[in-house]
Amino acid sequence: MRSSAAKRDGIKHAFLWPAFLVVLLISLFPLIYALTVSFQTMRIVPPTPPRFVGVQNYAEILQSGRFWGSMWTTTVITVLSVVLEYVLGFALALALHHNVPGSSLYRVTFLLPMFLAPVGVALIARMIFHPYLGPVNDLMRALGLGNVPFLTEPNLAMAVLIIVEVWQWTPFVTLLMLAGLQSLPAEVFEAARVDNVPAWRRFWDITFPMLLPISVAVVFIRLIEGFKVIDTVFVLTGGGPGTATETLTLFAYNEGFKKFNIGMTSALSFTFLIVVIVFGTVYLALAQRLTRRYA
Amino acid sequence: MMEGRGYRRTGFILALVWFFLSIFPLYFVLVTAFKPPLAVSQGPTYLPFVDFQPTLQAFRDAFAGLRGDFWGPIVSSVLVSVTATALAVLLGAMAAYALVRFEFRIRLLSGVIFAIISIGGFLLLNGLWGLRVPYSMAIVLVLALVVSVLANRLPLPGPVMKNDDVTFWFVSQRIFPPIVSAFALYLLYTEVNKLGLRLTDSFPGLVLAYTAFGLPFAVWLMRDFLATLPVEVEEAALVDNIGRFRIFFGIVLPMARPGLIATSMIVLAFIWNEFLFALLLTSGKWQTLPILLAGQNSSRGDEWWAISVAALFSIAPMIVVATILGRMMRSGLLTGSIK
Amino acid sequence: MKKLLLSAALTVTGGAAVAQCSPDYTGVTLTVSTQNGPAIASALAAAAESWEARTCGTVNVVEFPFGELYPKFLTAMSQQTGDFDVIGFVPAWLPDFAPFLSTMPAELQEGSDWEDIHPTYRERLMVWNDEVKSATMDGDMHMLNLRSDLLDNPEEQAAFEAKYGYPLAPPETWPQYLDQAEFFNRPDQGMYGTAEAYKRGGQQFWYFFSHASAYTNNPNNPGSMFFDPETMDAQINNPGWLRALEEYKKALDFNPPGALNNGSGDVRPLYAGGTVAMNLDWADSGVLRATEGGDAAEGTVRTAMLPGSTEIWNHKTQAWDTFPEVVHSPFLAFGGWQLGVPADSANPEAAWDFVKEVISPAVSGTAIVTANSGVNPYRFSHYDKLDAWSSIFTPEEAESYLGAQRASLDAPNVALDLRLPGFFSYTEVLEIELSKALAGEVEPQAALDAIAAEWDRLTDEFGRDTQLAAYRASVGLPPLEN
Repeated sequence: MRSSAAKRDGIKHAFLWPAFLVVLLISLFPLIYALTVSFQTMRIVPPTPPRFVGVQNYAEILQSGRFWGSMWTTTVITVLSVVLEYVLGFALALALHHNVPGSSLYRVTFLLPMFLAPVGVALIARMIFHPYLGPVNDLMRALGLGNVPFLTEPNLAMAVLIIVEVWQWTPFVTLLMLAGLQSLPAEVFEAARVDNVPAWRRFWDITFPMLLPISVAVVFIRLIEGFKVIDTVFVLTGGGPGTATETLTLFAYNEGFKKFNIGMTSALSFTFLIVVIVFGTVYLALAQRLTRRYA
Repeated sequence: MMEGRGYRRTGFILALVWFFLSIFPLYFVLVTAFKPPLAVSQGPTYLPFVDFQPTLQAFRDAFAGLRGDFWGPIVSSVLVSVTATALAVLLGAMAAYALVRFEFRIRLLSGVIFAIISIGGFLLLNGLWGLRVPYSMAIVLVLALVVSVLANRLPLPGPVMKNDDVTFWFVSQRIFPPIVSAFALYLLYTEVNKLGLRLTDSFPGLVLAYTAFGLPFAVWLMRDFLATLPVEVEEAALVDNIGRFRIFFGIVLPMARPGLIATSMIVLAFIWNEFLFALLLTSGKWQTLPILLAGQNSSRGDEWWAISVAALFSIAPMIVVATILGRMMRSGLLTGSIK
Repeated sequence: MKKLLLSAALTVTGGAAVAQCSPDYTGVTLTVSTQNGPAIASALAAAAESWEARTCGTVNVVEFPFGELYPKFLTAMSQQTGDFDVIGFVPAWLPDFAPFLSTMPAELQEGSDWEDIHPTYRERLMVWNDEVKSATMDGDMHMLNLRSDLLDNPEEQAAFEAKYGYPLAPPETWPQYLDQAEFFNRPDQGMYGTAEAYKRGGQQFWYFFSHASAYTNNPNNPGSMFFDPETMDAQINNPGWLRALEEYKKALDFNPPGALNNGSGDVRPLYAGGTVAMNLDWADSGVLRATEGGDAAEGTVRTAMLPGSTEIWNHKTQAWDTFPEVVHSPFLAFGGWQLGVPADSANPEAAWDFVKEVISPAVSGTAIVTANSGVNPYRFSHYDKLDAWSSIFTPEEAESYLGAQRASLDAPNVALDLRLPGFFSYTEVLEIELSKALAGEVEPQAALDAIAAEWDRLTDEFGRDTQLAAYRASVGLPPLEN
């Protein structure tokens, strides 16, 4: 018994290791490289020989107002967009699931924004929100609101960035929640309908809890990806005015690819990694508790 | 049912509003692709033939390669994305299956041993003794894996990581800001190039990187989809002594079709639109569409007609994919497959 | 298609096709790279055709987004990958790239073709550390682009003179520029005074520099525009720069709405489409208006040298120097695309031969009058051939266009662009503080002080002596005697 169970269990390695190895192969060297370099000052321009400086890079980052500012900006944009994406995406998935009129058309068009490259979406958004030549301000002018400085007033710029993110990524949520909805066993709902459970209770007591695992996963992935937002900001505002809309990845990008300050960029990346992992672990622990309570 | 109607109407209105919000920018792009420059620089215009005279000039310029080779990136993107997606979803689904049906126990200490050997070993081999990067990496990887796997067998103290932690490890690969990883991966690839195996600007190199790129999504998403599948069907098959692989490919995957399709689409979308790695790891032959798209944001200014044409071509294959997916997602087609 | 016909024609002209390859580079493939076309890339592609016909080699033109050129080239060269044989890059990057570029062969540095290149390019822009590391393939500077339909209009002239007390003409000083911008700023008629770039990441600092050169490039203290040429202290917060910033900011009032988000690319269609009366830009605006401005723009392009000033700041005496006549300090913004051959190229000979082809008077002479080529004049022979421009400009337009550029290059007090190792580090803080000042979040002087402080810190971090030596070299000063 034991040996056949062990032999049966042995097959799990054949399933897991290919994926594990591929990821390890690609990510191990960059991780090692980044880690070692983060403890050195290494600049490619001007060419300076690397010097070991211990935690100096990290200390500089943690004391840098610009770093904390970009963390704050990134957090605000990401959290607000993901909340909106989740609520909207879930609602849309429900609508599609219950076959509102036009569903077959919506199924295709709703997915489209997600399939555009972020840099493409950013360019399109720049066209649309252009203060003088874009349709949105055309509408604003028609409504008598004049030319709204969408991209140059810090709060408005943040709002625009959030809108663009929501526009592009709500389909992601919709798609996954819809797949989740379609995987739910039908007889539970039939039983609830027979018992005359009202629609609202049906949703909160059955649908939502059963979809919690996938909800947690979807929100988590969106948060992680959202934290790395760069193309939209780069194209729409350049991080300005000043550094008001500068996100963390944009900050890292400028440090790494414009100033080629590789040491600092690596330290920045690791700090970011640690922060997000801590945050992610907390999130997942909370989500676990929530799931267990409901399901 | 009575109370359902109110919700249906709200749902309908919401869907309609969202439809217009989604479509309008795309419509604007479509229309702008046909605009002559003056129709852009003198203010917003919306209707062809009414506001402006449409022209095919932007398309002609694009096909002629005026702003960069046009057809190459399209072919490149299609080949690389489809291959990488297929690999990522296949390997990811396998890994997810293992994480859902079996138990893994990995001692934290053996993970630490792995880290120490790999980092320390690499610094020693490459830093101190000057052994070339690919060789150092290969030696260190094999050594660290072997030692830590063996170490895992021993009753080491400390916490034990379970399946969820393994999944988390996969996903954590996505957290690291891509700046330095792209640069470092480029370094690794060029080092391997020097040894004769061409990785930069090559199909295998790009596919390998993108498969690793898509695996975290595939694992994470498939794990949740596979977890919802009833285990009884597989257990019945096990009793009949059918091998795990046959169960996986013959029973599990077909049952998980909605999730599989959704995951494939997500992974495809991410790989299709990835920019930074494509920029660094490709040169003349395998440039992908996002680079072409970014190139329209030139210092000559936003030539909106050119951007629109590039964007249209970037999204056209995706429209096909989305249509196919949309058909498959029609409810009723797939839910019944479980029973 | 053309390539096919060309090579077919060559083979048909007899088995003596082999003798046509001079020098013979059969089997050599060059990878030439620059930003996405059509600007520059199409010029390189055109030169590639004639080069391939002459030498039987092959050229592969690879394009990248402009924003990613710097990291792409630098990573490739610093890792010595040999990916590129010829790169088309921005002169401001020369200090950072120079360690990785090969020097121009001596044969290319002599002869009538060499002498034909304007000395400002030949002796200053192409040189780093006394070595010729790159070849100019394009001449760039900032200019004022004006409209003759407004300037030559008698009613406008009368109204202007009545209001401001001097005749309507291309502005000689920056206050005159602001006057004209104010005069033509008519939002209710859909026309605005001027268009400049203000966006962070939109190349805005070059526009700021253009304002500043008039007040800070003192002929009595050569090379003191950006830094003190003896101590390397940042000069960017001196009163000359302050005045420039205030005027640059004032021009916002006469820009179309949303100007704070305009990059260099946005100001061109505004001028070409007639939304603004004039703009500050490179030579592209004039060409754009002439080719795509429509019928209303026909023949209306006029170009003028940047406005100057009678007062220039003297950093040594800490006072303003006054001059009897307006001193023009045209700013060679951007400098003009350069071609370089990375040191790790596998075919340096062929590469430099290709470079010679691109910059030859014949090929470049065609490029400058080809629409969309992105190549602007830089050889004496370019400025003299007025009728070559007839496909784009009317004779008056051509004369104005070329005249302004030639005058700018010949001006005794011409100001060169900033070129320092670690260029992006210096410009990043400049862009950030500048955008804050423009948005009104900080006072101009405070912003400039912040920039100066950061520049001094960067200079110390990179090594004050090395930076000082580099700066002196970039402005054409001999090294300091110690």
